[in-house]
Amino acid sequence: MNFLLSEEQTQIVDSLRDLLVDQMPVARFRPPAPQLGNSDQSFWPRLGELGFLGIALPESDGGIGLTAAEEMLAYREFGRHLLSPAILGLTLGAQLSARLRPDMLEAILRGRLPIALANPRGAVQLGEICHGQFHLIDAKHAEWVLICTADGAALLRRTDFTDVTDVAATDHVLSLERGILSGARAACWRGATTESLYPRAQLLVSAYAVGLAEATRDMAVEYAKTRQQFGRPIGSFQAIKHLCADMAIRAEAATCQVIFAALVQAEARSGADFHSTAAKLVAVQAALDNAAQNIQVHGAIGFTAEADAHLFIKRAHVLEQLWGDTRQQRRLMLAAAFPDG
Amino acid sequence: MDLQFSPEDVRFRQEARAWLHDNVPRERRPHAGEAMRAFDTAWQRRQFEGGWAGVSWPKEYGGLGLPLIRQLIWHEEYARADAPDNHLCFVALNHAGPTLIARGSEAQKSHHLPKILRGEVIWCQGFSEPNAGSDLASLRTQARIEGEHLVVNGSKIWTSHGHLSDWQELLVRTDPEAPRHKGISWVICDMELPGITLRPIEIMTSPNQVHFVQCFYDDVRIPLANVVGAINDGWNVAMSTLGFERGTAQVRDQIRYAYLVEKMIAEAQRRLGSDCALADDVIGARLAQIRADMAAARAMTYMVMSRAQAGIQDSQSSLMRAMVGETQQRARRLALDILGPDGLENREEDDWVYFYLRSFSITIAAGTSQIQRNIIGERVLGLPR
Repeated sequence: MNFLLSEEQTQIVDSLRDLLVDQMPVARFRPPAPQLGNSDQSFWPRLGELGFLGIALPESDGGIGLTAAEEMLAYREFGRHLLSPAILGLTLGAQLSARLRPDMLEAILRGRLPIALANPRGAVQLGEICHGQFHLIDAKHAEWVLICTADGAALLRRTDFTDVTDVAATDHVLSLERGILSGARAACWRGATTESLYPRAQLLVSAYAVGLAEATRDMAVEYAKTRQQFGRPIGSFQAIKHLCADMAIRAEAATCQVIFAALVQAEARSGADFHSTAAKLVAVQAALDNAAQNIQVHGAIGFTAEADAHLFIKRAHVLEQLWGDTRQQRRLMLAAAFPDG
Repeated sequence: MDLQFSPEDVRFRQEARAWLHDNVPRERRPHAGEAMRAFDTAWQRRQFEGGWAGVSWPKEYGGLGLPLIRQLIWHEEYARADAPDNHLCFVALNHAGPTLIARGSEAQKSHHLPKILRGEVIWCQGFSEPNAGSDLASLRTQARIEGEHLVVNGSKIWTSHGHLSDWQELLVRTDPEAPRHKGISWVICDMELPGITLRPIEIMTSPNQVHFVQCFYDDVRIPLANVVGAINDGWNVAMSTLGFERGTAQVRDQIRYAYLVEKMIAEAQRRLGSDCALADDVIGARLAQIRADMAAARAMTYMVMSRAQAGIQDSQSSLMRAMVGETQQRARRLALDILGPDGLENREEDDWVYFYLRSFSITIAAGTSQIQRNIIGERVLGLPR
């Protein structure tokens, strides 16, 4: 049992972080950046070239042959840098198509076949034939759209959705549309009964949320060290210090549970649903709470678009809703079998 | 990064599980007085005779000399078997013993460690004072050197089970002129010495529950040979003790609480099931959340263990301690709420109401939640004092 990163894992994280700091700094969203749409998809081919889109796929499928643990570590960095969550469409889409649509696989892994996300608005019916109302996330230029709920995962064409209309997004750096599926046939469908993709989807969303929780903790601590009031750094006051400590506790709890959930999947142990659901609950809550407290620690500047703090709370809300909100995660948590031992 | 255990570790786990299955006392643990002492020492002795005491303690003092991971496995199996926690042995096994191993003289180690493992002696802690709680370094119990003795005067408080103990790990001020962290000594005190008097203190759980004592020292003469580490180096010695308190023994508690939550879900199902589906009730939502938080708390314990195995010494474990304690306290409150109106009955000393009342100590003992947050802020995050 060891929760520490191996040397190889540390190298992967460091090189990915260097790349993202250089190519995808969070500052890319500062005004006067375009307020509609998201150009992150132009970065997918670069990630594909480096193997990050198939990091946990076997080499025989064109992947790198690593595990859920390395994939989790990559998503933590994606979260830190607020990569468009549409990246989930590629990672999960690759895992879905590896068996069902191998003809699509190579293009996905190279980042040349963007797959966006659809998130249910209320109850939907998923299967070979899909019905329901959805939000399409960063789907403007995507040919394909992925849905992944506790019932199963489906890959559809964007053109399968009808009545597609633009809506202003709460997370304004993402594009958001409403769309309807009424009897559309999924190009790929994998139900939850055999090798469900859902625990992996929960894990990656959670890892991304850990990235948010860590980034906001670091921003708040950095600000508390430098911002002076009453002639002292504000971080010397217990009121601020304890807010920062709370953020550190939440981030650590989320990190550890996400590692646990990743290792359960990487080693094909029992309890994947239990640990991934726990991870989503703990990590999303950490992302929401840390993002909110980061704004508070920053004071007035935190409320502006000139600081990056607001981007993180908005993204945290997207993660909370993505493929099952807190209310639904709690139901799943209560229903999961307790992995004894 | 892995969740794997070596074949030797797996064999150790199987053997521990089998032994515990056959040997865990099935009778109820008494909650007070000599009966409790007799129960706890007998159970410790049984573990020693079975060859399971002091898993990671050195062999020459009666331990098994095994790596920390085996200690973790032992604690996991111990909790899994629902073995009674021998609280009276806690200080000896988790503070005093490890401190002696780290800092004690050869004579101190060979005299005390085997007795601790055999369950022959009970130790208590003499750190806090009426005016030195969170600010421990302000302690004033004084010890002047006279020939081959320390002569101690003052008072200690919140000493758990002091009235049932043989030995005390005692922090005294040996140099009142030195800076406050540099004038303290850590000394082994025989609780039978003349000049020690005890005042029992009842706790909030139920009437007549004596858990703490206040100790008064009136010219108590302790041999200088009982000082652990150097004179005036007691703060450093004590810090190594607190480190152990925050270490492996946490795991046992973690798993116990994970099982408690499972029992709480079953009980809530039984009690509320006729009203509405648990999943639709606010109790169900809270149970789901606590189940997730408990899993995360355990994962944090694994992280602390991973860092300890790698020889990393830092204050990161304070993150785990804060999360674990507060999650446990929240679980106890939820257990009370599941009982509904029956929560008004404090029937037995091992039921959910008793432990709810007891849970108020979790965020106070061994460093309050607020002190933990100071430590996290300053030593983990590097915020200014």
